[in-house]
Amino acid sequence: MSHADAAPGPDEGRLAARLGGEIRGLFGRSLHIRTIDTGSCAVCESEIRLLLAPHYDLHRLGLFFTPAPRHADLLMVTGPVVRVMESALEKTYAAMPEPKLVVAVGACPLGGVFDEDEIVRGRLDRVLPVDVFIPGCPPSPLALLQGLLLAVGRLGEKVIALNLIAREETAR
Amino acid sequence: MALWFFRGLARQVVTTRYPATLDPWASALPTPPSFVPAGLTFALVELLVDCCPSGALWRENRDLAIDIGACTTCGRCQRVAPDAVVASGVFELAATAPAHLVKRIPIRGGEG
Repeated sequence: MSHADAAPGPDEGRLAARLGGEIRGLFGRSLHIRTIDTGSCAVCESEIRLLLAPHYDLHRLGLFFTPAPRHADLLMVTGPVVRVMESALEKTYAAMPEPKLVVAVGACPLGGVFDEDEIVRGRLDRVLPVDVFIPGCPPSPLALLQGLLLAVGRLGEKVIALNLIAREETAR
Repeated sequence: MALWFFRGLARQVVTTRYPATLDPWASALPTPPSFVPAGLTFALVELLVDCCPSGALWRENRDLAIDIGACTTCGRCQRVAPDAVVASGVFELAATAPAHLVKRIPIRGGEG
């Protein structure tokens, strides 16, 4: 699998337009990340924490975790957005300075685990505008890293070209 | 250390790029399923849709649709049909829109 930077396709226009000049000019591609847990089982959190381990070394890429939403440029949300966390989520988002990015981490905020009911909202994009979706249950640190670099505009999106059709010779 | 220092000076950047090679354990990561269209029959697709605990699979006319975002890579569909469903081996799945995560696979195996 090649990790060369993919050429930006037409589908990335929305993200590129928002990022171009704004985040790169303001932060020099360096971002501070705030994570918020909206009812996650904490496995996504442990994978996010592994990003700081020497194997992945998030700091070399100019990405840092911050405990304060007012210092954060990127919000990583895990969990199925339980309704009791909804106001906290909105306050966190409102407290972040512009420009800001939202990344949904794992199958829960992507609607794979819980349907919308009286306890959970089920999907993060019902509450906040989401810029990058990272599938996985949990997403591995490599998948998180790819998602973060996609958000910062350093990597191209690979999933567009994926068709999930296995090679025909594997058929009997 | 000195090598890193001079390399950084030469390139005017001290940070490295996204992992140039994958981790040795990357092949062991659970990944969403990949499908063999010739092995998919309508009866089998019904079984697959029923076995998915997260509602990531559904049938759309003559296609099997999968929402990679909803898939929890549990592997139940691979156990139901090991000949038609294999692990895709792809885990770098981040997308900028949920529509990019929905894939459609033609059902070519007939009624079965």
